[in-house]
Amino acid sequence: MSSPVPDPVRDRQPIPAAAGPSSPVPSAPARAPFARVLSGIVPYLPAAVPAVMLIIIVVALVHASGFTNFGLQFFSLHFDPPVDQWGIAVFLIGSFLVAVPALFFSMLFGVGLAVASTAYLPKLVTQVLDPFVDLLAGIPSVVYGIWAFIIVAPYFGSTVEPTIHAYLGFLPGFSGPTQSGGTGIMLAVFILTLMALPITTLLIRDSLRAVPKDLWESGLALGATRWEVVRRVAIPYARRGIFSAAFLGFGRAFGETVAVAMVLGSATVLPSSVYAIGNTMAAEMFELLDSAYGNSQFLAALSEMAVVLLIISLVVNVVGRRFISRLYKEQVAGL
Amino acid sequence: MAADLSSTANSILFDRSARTVWRIGFDRWIGRLLPLLFLVAIFPILSLVYYISEKAVPTLTWNVITSTSPYGDHLGVAIVGTFELYLFATSLAVLFGLFGGVAVAEFLPESAANWVRTSANLLVGTPSVILGYMGYITFCLYFGWGLTFEAGAVTMAFFMTPYIFRTADLAFTSVPAPIREAALGSGARPSQYILKVGAPIAFPQILTGIFLALAIGVGETAPIVLTTTASVLVPQNLHSPVTVLTALIWENYAQAPSTGLQTIAFQAAFLILVIVLVLNVVVRVISTIYRKRLEGLYQ
Amino acid sequence: MSGTGLDMGPVLSVRGVSVRARKVERPLLDQISIDFAPRSLTALVGPSGCGKSTFVRTLNRMVELTPGLRVGGQVLYLGQDIYARNVNPVLVRRRIGMVFQRPTVFPISIFENAAFGLRLVHESNEEIDRAVAQALQRSGLWEEVKDRLDEPALSLSGGQQQRLCIARALAVRPKVILLDEPTSALDPAATQRVESTMETLKEDFVLILVTHNVGQAARVADRVAFLHSGRLIEVGPTADILERPKEALTEQFITGRFT
Repeated sequence: MSSPVPDPVRDRQPIPAAAGPSSPVPSAPARAPFARVLSGIVPYLPAAVPAVMLIIIVVALVHASGFTNFGLQFFSLHFDPPVDQWGIAVFLIGSFLVAVPALFFSMLFGVGLAVASTAYLPKLVTQVLDPFVDLLAGIPSVVYGIWAFIIVAPYFGSTVEPTIHAYLGFLPGFSGPTQSGGTGIMLAVFILTLMALPITTLLIRDSLRAVPKDLWESGLALGATRWEVVRRVAIPYARRGIFSAAFLGFGRAFGETVAVAMVLGSATVLPSSVYAIGNTMAAEMFELLDSAYGNSQFLAALSEMAVVLLIISLVVNVVGRRFISRLYKEQVAGL
Repeated sequence: MAADLSSTANSILFDRSARTVWRIGFDRWIGRLLPLLFLVAIFPILSLVYYISEKAVPTLTWNVITSTSPYGDHLGVAIVGTFELYLFATSLAVLFGLFGGVAVAEFLPESAANWVRTSANLLVGTPSVILGYMGYITFCLYFGWGLTFEAGAVTMAFFMTPYIFRTADLAFTSVPAPIREAALGSGARPSQYILKVGAPIAFPQILTGIFLALAIGVGETAPIVLTTTASVLVPQNLHSPVTVLTALIWENYAQAPSTGLQTIAFQAAFLILVIVLVLNVVVRVISTIYRKRLEGLYQ
Repeated sequence: MSGTGLDMGPVLSVRGVSVRARKVERPLLDQISIDFAPRSLTALVGPSGCGKSTFVRTLNRMVELTPGLRVGGQVLYLGQDIYARNVNPVLVRRRIGMVFQRPTVFPISIFENAAFGLRLVHESNEEIDRAVAQALQRSGLWEEVKDRLDEPALSLSGGQQQRLCIARALAVRPKVILLDEPTSALDPAATQRVESTMETLKEDFVLILVTHNVGQAARVADRVAFLHSGRLIEVGPTADILERPKEALTEQFITGRFT
């Protein structure tokens, strides 16, 4: 090897940060200038893979949407392809209608599960119980979908929805008729809660585990109960992780496609109550791409909807990942 | 402050004021009730596994799994399709993900690496239906491949690449610094270091990444359904239509309860569950072995 | 051992306390008995691993937080066994406060840190204001922070944070304060301020100081107890222990002939 004095500091960055990717690798032997530049670039090229993929996605969707077609009418409530009405508001609102309650429940249960794991249960017990929550992430969404559609929906239609109607019927949104056979907003929220739960629980659990032991103990040493330490010390300390959990859990619920398509009922009008059917952007896009074949206007409208979904997902992910300190989170599928 | 000794001790240590009783009682009950929340996770899993098994297993014969009969009452076509499509997609994803991940970990300056890592994270956070649209627009329409095996496989490779990319990156960045420095310090070229030193250490973690990507990918439905056409035959070549297990469930789910098509959907769901479970177990086993090895490395 | 001359009994009386870890033959603490009189500062010294930290953690039942440890014997607080069945550790810890090796301020404001223990029991705001001011004065921090009580506690220096932790323990009006190597993470100047705080506090509290630094024990303690391998080897007035130890082990430790 030719390089005389190897410098260990150099290893992490063979090229100083100031130099661009076109500079040669320091250890490259002297060659013709062009070959040197080329051999300097080649090792970096594969690194661009994710960035290039992201660009391909954006370009493909934006190109297919054209973006000049619809203007403000795009955000109207009126979606009716045969008469050229392409308002996506019904689906945009529908996405929020199922994702927000699902996020609420998965955060509620996620905080509870994470607190139970970190503050109350002995380690041996959590080692048995925690994997069950993680397992929820491994179940494919189409399997959730068929289970929910065939098994859970009839139960929702016959028992859960009438019961809720009987007790909460006085609330706005809970008074509507319950004749959708169980499919609809409520079932979608149920399934999405299960699907977002492993993400929220894992992130909150990790951030509570990151609270220093000294801090737990000093709280207890002041005569606080475990709950008081959780509420007044651990949760404030872990707030960034909890914040991330909310965003990434929302991203999961908002973008979920197949399970929602199977249980939400594919309506193109705004749902009138929690028992009514509706649709989300992701599910609508998934179901309608077939129909768009050979209809450029239709495909453009769906692609524009995809752009809106993509923008929302990117924003949610960028914000949600800001406070995750680790390089990546791999333990749960889809994180 | 307080002077009268033992009465003070008793009044404090046996404080029964409403506030104290509430504080301690609340903590105690929270500690008993919160663990019950695990039922929220455990009960659906048990229900799901039980009912899917109940609908699938009684009629799930060896013939159902192996026969490639074209009449939609056997799983052979979908199983072969799944195997071939994911073999193709995984190979592509490993190719891109591995080279990309190693390049980021070993060559890219930190500032640029963070941009690339962010985009990998964003790809993972992108809804799969968006990937399906990208595949449809780019491969099926723009490249003119149509709804074929190749479009589905490349789209799926797109979906799986960032997962493998991230584990490859992570595996190489977490090679212990002293080992790295020793190798490069003793005059090894970067390529020699990667192949001779880094790869053996990073290999198990990369392997878990590949299996994890496969476990996630094989459960995906939307990208495949949007970029392929269902087929009653096993794929003949890259331009053939293809059916995979998840797509089969989607095509069949809404059939009336008693028809065989719905039973086939449940059998496909059962198989997918088993495949995903096995892959997850493999991931856990490899990462356990890997952890032991890495611990040995640090001693 | 009697205290420093007051006619009251001991505040804290340790009777034959042992701590055992599951599946470990040798106890972590072996039959320790010692009394702590009011208005005294006792330093616990000994080589690392001798059980000093475990010992102070038995005095406010913090030891129970470590899974797998069993405590035997009695710890009497004003005559009442704190390990008795009907005594709740939450209440024990309000009378027996603790300060840790590293400053452990909470990620909230300076004022809220000091008020933490009081907020738990719904005291009135005027009372909390008064108690916080008093506690900060006694810990010697008041002059430095009185104009910025609403700033985050993490903006303080390490030494200030440690004195805030002392103030936080004082604010709930305990009788006993356990100090587990409170200066081990501090620089010499901050150490000196914490030591002078300890000297004023011993006028009113029972202080029990764990230290690996015999010099610190000599500077602040009335009494030194020497622990070795989980056993209490010797206890006596500081001067006696440092200058005329009775036990060979103690002498070896004082004169630095073992670690």
